[in-house]
Amino acid sequence: MDFTPQSAIVINRHRPRRLRNWLALLLTLISTSASATDINALIDHIDTLWRGETSRAVMEMQVKTQRYQRTMTMEAWSYGKEHSLVLIRNPVKDRGIATLKVEANIWNYLPKINRVTKIPSSMMSGSWMGSHFTNDDLIRESTFADDYDSHISFEGQRDGLMIYEITSIPRENAPVVWGKVVMRVEQSSLTPMEALYFDEEGLLVRTLTFDQFMTLDERVIPMRLTLQPEDKPNESTVITYNSITFGVPLEPAFFSLQNLQRLR
Amino acid sequence: MVQQAHHTHLPMLFFMAWRNLWRNPIRSLLTISALAGGLVMIILYAGFLEGMNRQMQRHATENSTGHLQLQRQAFIDDRDLYATLPWPYLNALEHRFPTLHFAPRLYAAGLASSDASATGVMIQAVDPQREARVTRILDHIRQGTLNLAPATPTSAGLTRFNVIVGHQLARNMNLTIGSELILVTQAADGSIGNALFRVAAILKPLEPNFDRSGVLMSIEAFQSLMYLDNGFHELAIRLDNPDQLAQIQTTLRSHLLQIGTIQPLDALGGKPVIRNWRELNPAVADMLELSRSMMLFVGLIVVSLASMGMLNTMLMAVHERTHEFGILLAIGMQRRILLLMVLLESFFLALVSALLGSLLGSLLTGYLEDRGIDLSNYMPDGYDWAGMVFEPVMEVYLLPHHILQACLLMLVITLLTALIPAWRMVRLKPAEVMR
Repeated sequence: MDFTPQSAIVINRHRPRRLRNWLALLLTLISTSASATDINALIDHIDTLWRGETSRAVMEMQVKTQRYQRTMTMEAWSYGKEHSLVLIRNPVKDRGIATLKVEANIWNYLPKINRVTKIPSSMMSGSWMGSHFTNDDLIRESTFADDYDSHISFEGQRDGLMIYEITSIPRENAPVVWGKVVMRVEQSSLTPMEALYFDEEGLLVRTLTFDQFMTLDERVIPMRLTLQPEDKPNESTVITYNSITFGVPLEPAFFSLQNLQRLR
Repeated sequence: MVQQAHHTHLPMLFFMAWRNLWRNPIRSLLTISALAGGLVMIILYAGFLEGMNRQMQRHATENSTGHLQLQRQAFIDDRDLYATLPWPYLNALEHRFPTLHFAPRLYAAGLASSDASATGVMIQAVDPQREARVTRILDHIRQGTLNLAPATPTSAGLTRFNVIVGHQLARNMNLTIGSELILVTQAADGSIGNALFRVAAILKPLEPNFDRSGVLMSIEAFQSLMYLDNGFHELAIRLDNPDQLAQIQTTLRSHLLQIGTIQPLDALGGKPVIRNWRELNPAVADMLELSRSMMLFVGLIVVSLASMGMLNTMLMAVHERTHEFGILLAIGMQRRILLLMVLLESFFLALVSALLGSLLGSLLTGYLEDRGIDLSNYMPDGYDWAGMVFEPVMEVYLLPHHILQACLLMLVITLLTALIPAWRMVRLKPAEVMR
């Protein structure tokens, strides 16, 4: 099977799981005309299939706001669904700051004061590393399949491309911030093109655009992600992947608080 | 003829009314004590309300707000970190208004972590010297010492500043004096601001929001954490004479326009806005208004109830003297004069009650005014009302015009009630009642 959900893990540091779940879902939708429960069972199956897969990526995050513009270089590792670690390489002021995600927990390591702080659940909607992504974006990726009901809402040609449009609606009582998420995926390569995030009133809040596609390990991977908040047209966060490697040898112990302090 | 009669008989009438009052001394005394008791209640109530009003107003101004505040529109709207006023503004204002007291402040949101837990906090930076001249926020220390200076470095040689934290925050995060506090925030240049701090003191309850999430630090500490040194977010202003509030607000406003032409502000942060404490705490201003009308209302109810007792007394007094009144009318006594006499009896009742009531009321209120009502055994942290924390000692404050108003209110209402028995008396038919 050409289709590679784990590529998504690395491409999109912030929503790898979401992406993977989508692709997994997509796979099930294409291959079978399964009922909803079968889809869920398949999503779970595929999730566990790739658990244990690892990756390493070097990326650049450019944050543009009304007041400042800054570029950060980061290195990121992931191990399965629940573990990831991001280390800031540049600029000098933030060098060595690291974020560890294990399951639903996020810790930051701050080298200047040599301390690790845990992000409390009340701060999950706060900005991650000064970008337009939130801490919650890091967490939610691993629970997307549990939190949302997804279905294909459009299939066919749009803007000259054959696409699938997947609409995800949060389940009742799911602890999520979005009222609806719509993702457009190119049919032949199964590459995501864009994702639209709506609030509970159905208003578009932000758009995530994928481009600069690259074929890697026979997978088509978008190397650039642009997050555009709808209410601030002058602001954006752009993540560009410089390199991605799959199947790097990593131990679960790599994603520990001890290692977080050692990394530097 | 009638006029003449009035004049000649007036002293006599007074005398008769007074003597009539004491024909049944127990009944009169009971009525007097009911009216006087009502008056004591009203005076006490007025004293409490006034004490509370004063406490509220003082809280609204002295504890953190000041009489006036200067901020920029974008800071008022969404606490925009970048909506600062340049430091030269402070110097210019201090130079131009030497009699006013100014306290600059800076604010930011952050994440505080201790060994035990982490939570979102509101960082407030103050200039301790200037702040002390405007508000008493720094006096409200429950534990520890007022110290916002750099603390001794950690054993690993990391520098840190002293901070003062709200009491609820200290409890939630398990902080004690000397605890280490980590603050992480997004600095003004977009970098991850992070620094170590030492808890130097814990504040008394001040305002629920601040108690839960407030961290006070020096402006110097704030600037090194936030990389924001071009200005301040807020200027709290205290007047020595609060009566000049409106006038000074106008003068300051026009002077700010003048400074603005010399040193223009960036467009994004909006205009500088100067607001007084009533505008800043509309809930408190409304509450003060409300308590005034409440006082009149409660006073009316209490006096009306007490005057029911007087109505009863006078109805009885008139009833048992029907025969006597009949004779008086038969021998040619003017009805008006009789009416005047009955009204005078009520008036004397009310007057004696007013004197007794205001004397007792003033004594009691004066006693409470000196020592307050200490509830600290039951509520050591004070109580929370209308979004403000009050000290556990309730204040009572007596204003002479409150006593006067209460007495007048009582006299008017009792005289109005006295019209009922008086009217019955006037309609007597002498031939019938004397039979």
